[in-house]
Amino acid sequence: MSIEVSGLNKKFGDFVALDDVNVTIPTGQLTALLGPSGGGKSTLLRIIAGLEKADTGSVSIEGVEATHLPAQKRNVGFVFQHYAVFKHMTVAKNVAFGLEIRKRPKDEIEHRVQELLKLVHLSQFAHRLPSQLSGGQRQRMALARALAVEPSVLLLDEPFGALDAKVRKELRDWLRRLHDDVHVTTVFVTHDQEEAMEVADEIVVINEGRVEQVGSPDQLYDEPANDFVMSFLGEVTHLGGISLRPHDIELEASPQLAGSVEGTVSRMVRIGFEVRLTVLTVDGDEVSVVVTRAHARSHGLQEGSTVWLTPAAGATVVPRMAAAV
Amino acid sequence: MIWFSALVLIPLAAVVVTAIDGGWDVFWATITNGQTAAAIRLTVFTAAGVTAVNVVMGPLIAWVLVRDRFWGKSVLEVLIDIPFALPTIVAGLVLLSLYGTGSPIGIDIANQRPAVFLAFLFVTLPFVVRMVQPVLEELDRDVEEAAASLGASRFTTFRRIILPSLTPAITAGAALSFARGVSEYGSLVLLSGNLPFKTEVTSVRILSSIENDNVAAAAAVATVLLAISLAVIVVLDLIQRRVAARG
Repeated sequence: MSIEVSGLNKKFGDFVALDDVNVTIPTGQLTALLGPSGGGKSTLLRIIAGLEKADTGSVSIEGVEATHLPAQKRNVGFVFQHYAVFKHMTVAKNVAFGLEIRKRPKDEIEHRVQELLKLVHLSQFAHRLPSQLSGGQRQRMALARALAVEPSVLLLDEPFGALDAKVRKELRDWLRRLHDDVHVTTVFVTHDQEEAMEVADEIVVINEGRVEQVGSPDQLYDEPANDFVMSFLGEVTHLGGISLRPHDIELEASPQLAGSVEGTVSRMVRIGFEVRLTVLTVDGDEVSVVVTRAHARSHGLQEGSTVWLTPAAGATVVPRMAAAV
Repeated sequence: MIWFSALVLIPLAAVVVTAIDGGWDVFWATITNGQTAAAIRLTVFTAAGVTAVNVVMGPLIAWVLVRDRFWGKSVLEVLIDIPFALPTIVAGLVLLSLYGTGSPIGIDIANQRPAVFLAFLFVTLPFVVRMVQPVLEELDRDVEEAAASLGASRFTTFRRIILPSLTPAITAGAALSFARGVSEYGSLVLLSGNLPFKTEVTSVRILSSIENDNVAAAAAVATVLLAISLAVIVVLDLIQRRVAARG
């Protein structure tokens, strides 16, 4: 196991950033730390990198006890949300920095820098200054710089957070492919569940300083440990004491299934091929339901229609928490 | 541009013209006159020395002001600016009562060269600090952390990452501090005693030329100072480019 974190606690004044966190991150995989802002995921990443000190607990990287190692000695690559470029150096110099620190021979550095710039598609920009690059290009440069020192783990803190939606999507596809080529153990922090589900092999859900669940994207989506994980990974609605996905509700125009709940359509919004309904049930619940357009049309649905709702067979359901999100 | 010309270029040109008006012989005679030459040497070397001190101490003070939290920090912030705000003659008076004859702390440097150095140091202190401070505040902590995670020691990070970012500010501060030193009059005139060949600086020399109704001589000295200041600014700019490019 590549990174082992145990019993980690961290407070900033009165604020508890991490509360007894235990995580094991497997070698060679792409792991996402997912959670809402201020949940402690960035703090965890920074403690792994040695940029922040934990109050208690231990960190080991590749079997080496790293709790008291300074950042310089941990051999981790770190990529920051706002790129953290060395403004006065060219792109090539930025990438070469870590190798120069390690006093590698000049021709080796040059060769390696060229190789890395090719990997991140920046070869033609080698002699530009970072200020002449776009945000996406800067972040690719930062990634090449972090990879240059052949880190045992690569840590990315909201790497695409400062980029616009289109570039963001391109970059995360690209990161996935890059990881398939390079295979360095990678951990990235994100608050975007779609990003995590799309890119990561494994997701660690962190909320309020605690690990809520660890698992593959499918596991988390299909078998969420609790209401929080479920609601964080996708839309959730509540029907008769359980939480489930709006598209996991069967909707009929007449009471055909046992245990179905009667309600009235109070709102109907068509978005492309799907129709989103808000149904007021006789129990007083406000339930969101998503059906296909064909389904809605065949039932002649409109606002004011009376419908019967049932959880679909095989739907992911968890008991509803008192303080539901 | 017109504004700039009216404010800066025309007066400067006027000084040079006045100097040339007196003829080359007068100009040369003035600046090779032993007393004048001694004043120019004293002024330039002292200003250079003071600037060197400021280049080292300025960033240090700025660093402490930006990065450290300590009791009385806001007071120190205000104190730094006092040499800016204080009329220089008042500064001179303060220095005289502190370091003059009958000094309460037992240091008597009145009528000696260290008096000039001290006066220069006092009035030029804020320049580098105030130039460097905002740049240091703007500096991303991320960048230092990135350097650290790439294996750079704190010293290497400072030398290769922080210093190049500060260099333009340090250079600008140094240029200002040098220029201020060369032109200083009020703060040293009391303490230094203005002894020819010993503690007389150029600004005093210019004033005495004017008082002796020798405008051409005054303009000649002024022109030399102008040339030196220009040279210093150009040299500092070159140094800055060199350091910034070295990265």
